[in-house]
Amino acid sequence: MGPPPEQTLLLATQLTKRFGAVTAVRDVSFRAHEGDFIAIFGPNGAGKTTLLQLIANLSQPTQGVLEWFPEKPDQVRCSVGFVSHQSLLYSELSGFENLLFFSRLYGVIRPRKRAQELLDQMGLQGAGHRLVKHYSSGMKQRLTLARALAHDPEVLLLDEPYAGLDQHGSRLLTGILKGLRGDRRTVFLITHNLMEGMALATRALIMNRGEIVHETGLGELESEKLENLYFRLVES
Amino acid sequence: MSSLKTIGLLAGKDLRIEYRSPQAFLTTLFFGLLILIVFNFAFDPGNPATLDAAPGILWVSLLFPGIIQLNRSFRAEREEGTIHALVLAPVESGLLFLGKFLANWVLLLLVDLFVLIAFVFFYNVRLTSRFFWLPLVVILASIAVSAVGTLFASMVSSVSAREVLLPILLFPIIVPVVIAAVSASREIMSTGELQYVLSWIKLLTGCDIVFTVGSFMVFEYVLGE
Amino acid sequence: MDLSYPELRTADRILSIAKWFQVPLYLAVLAALYGTFVYAPTEKVMGEVQRIFYFHVGVAFNSFAAFFLVFVGGVLYLLTRRTFWDRLALASVEIGVLFTTIVLTTGPIWAKPVWNTWFPWGDPRVMTTLVLWLIYLSYLILRSSLPEGDKQYRFCAVFGIIGFIDVPIVWMSIRWWRTIHPVVITREGANLEPEMLNVLILAVVACMLLLVVLVLLRTAMHLNSLVVARLVQEVEEAGR
Repeated sequence: MGPPPEQTLLLATQLTKRFGAVTAVRDVSFRAHEGDFIAIFGPNGAGKTTLLQLIANLSQPTQGVLEWFPEKPDQVRCSVGFVSHQSLLYSELSGFENLLFFSRLYGVIRPRKRAQELLDQMGLQGAGHRLVKHYSSGMKQRLTLARALAHDPEVLLLDEPYAGLDQHGSRLLTGILKGLRGDRRTVFLITHNLMEGMALATRALIMNRGEIVHETGLGELESEKLENLYFRLVES
Repeated sequence: MSSLKTIGLLAGKDLRIEYRSPQAFLTTLFFGLLILIVFNFAFDPGNPATLDAAPGILWVSLLFPGIIQLNRSFRAEREEGTIHALVLAPVESGLLFLGKFLANWVLLLLVDLFVLIAFVFFYNVRLTSRFFWLPLVVILASIAVSAVGTLFASMVSSVSAREVLLPILLFPIIVPVVIAAVSASREIMSTGELQYVLSWIKLLTGCDIVFTVGSFMVFEYVLGE
Repeated sequence: MDLSYPELRTADRILSIAKWFQVPLYLAVLAALYGTFVYAPTEKVMGEVQRIFYFHVGVAFNSFAAFFLVFVGGVLYLLTRRTFWDRLALASVEIGVLFTTIVLTTGPIWAKPVWNTWFPWGDPRVMTTLVLWLIYLSYLILRSSLPEGDKQYRFCAVFGIIGFIDVPIVWMSIRWWRTIHPVVITREGANLEPEMLNVLILAVVACMLLLVVLVLLRTAMHLNSLVVARLVQEVEEAGR
């Protein structure tokens, strides 16, 4: 028995994003399937963050089209969870209050129950009443993920979530991300951490100067091969 | 979730955050007090000419702390990046505006109330029955200022010079509000007949409607990268 | 690498349209100048200095017309996201500032000998022009403090729209303010002799043509400079 047929979730066609004279994303086309875990690698300024913002609909493309299947014009927002190096949390609210607020805002049924559930899942049950400004960075990271997952999004976008994490935090994050694999959730992960990215992902895109310079298939994600390929394709 | 509940949720969040960490708000109140005191030194309080300037002094003392308060309205969204989380929510941008606008308005009214009381105290304003038109004028003026102020505060939140840029953008636009508010206040604080106050109140109400609706409609264009 | 640069074609089209306006512009300006200094009779009360009135009003009227262009450009940019509309709005702001500055400087030249004051506070036309000038400048300051890109264009469009709906309200509020505090300065000499009216209309038309040509030229220039900046960027990228 072969793998289940993959449903196309997202089709990007010649996406271009310009900021005045600068072209951040240039002619980017790719197809994402349900359940894909796509790692996006690339040097600084390659356009990875801009691409993620386009996918999240936080930004409009200057040219090109981004299509979702099945058609979800407004509902795209409902099914996207976003994580960046910023916490996207209110530091003057407690962990529980943050989760409760976002759960309510995103239309989660039984928000209080969900908020408590998430706290438990992330091992933060003791700290739920504490203000986020008193959290350690590891705790904040866990809470950020909890917030992103509160409404059970179909698509999860992570922009360099490993940035600023120590070993313990990195391992924790990898553990959580591993748990997300295989449950029909589609994940886009931008990371500088080639090893972690390759361990988690089913596919990888390498970007440089706004373009996709390489797209891997299955099985191509063997550490050495990809690493060498990366450094060959991308000048320092 | 219904629109009203959403607005309440958003405004409630902002007010709770302000309540948790009131230092900045209290500093704004203090600043309003300070301006009134500076005016006391700048203009001789015994001089009848000062009484003529009193409505203007009141409104300058209301506006400047107000601008400072508005400037801080998107601070959390900017510093923690929560603006992205708000934009990604299945909530219309108009509701995001109204939530923020409501919170800003409440805070602005609190600042105004404080400055107004201090003003009554410093300028020995007699609290006759006609005086109570003044809070109405303040309430109406604050609606218009909050509406456009919230819109512009969102625009300048990403700029480093936001403290000076917000007043630069806001003051030319709220000129009619200032004229109406000061003129109405002057009439209320003087001893003659109250003949024009209603006209000014009508103008203020008109400004409120135009600015709130206008800001509400264009707010979606100031969100996003 | 896409080198088609549609902005270049748009700029060229704009310039060719502008060419059509040039001859009418020169004729209109010459005629208006002739009318101002030769044809129009000397005003009985104010004397020769009154001749400033024709171009002053012409420029003043069109400084407000320019703001209408800013509004249109802003709305159409928000609806279509085509760079052309943003550049049109920007060009209109630039010419608008120029015109408004001219109005605010020629005004006092006229006001002092006639009303013995450099700046008639309380006059709705003067005050509204002053506020318009401030809004124009604020637009440019906003623009320069934002990084180049769609966000900048959107924010400026929004500010232009808010400003445009604000100007009539400013006008009304100052007029009401003035009726309550009547100002010494009243508009005397409102009866224009027919020759004067003709010259006035001519001056307004001439200034309108000037506005159109300047805005078109400036828009084309902005579009071209965008292309140049992008070409420079491409060259730098290729060089690395």
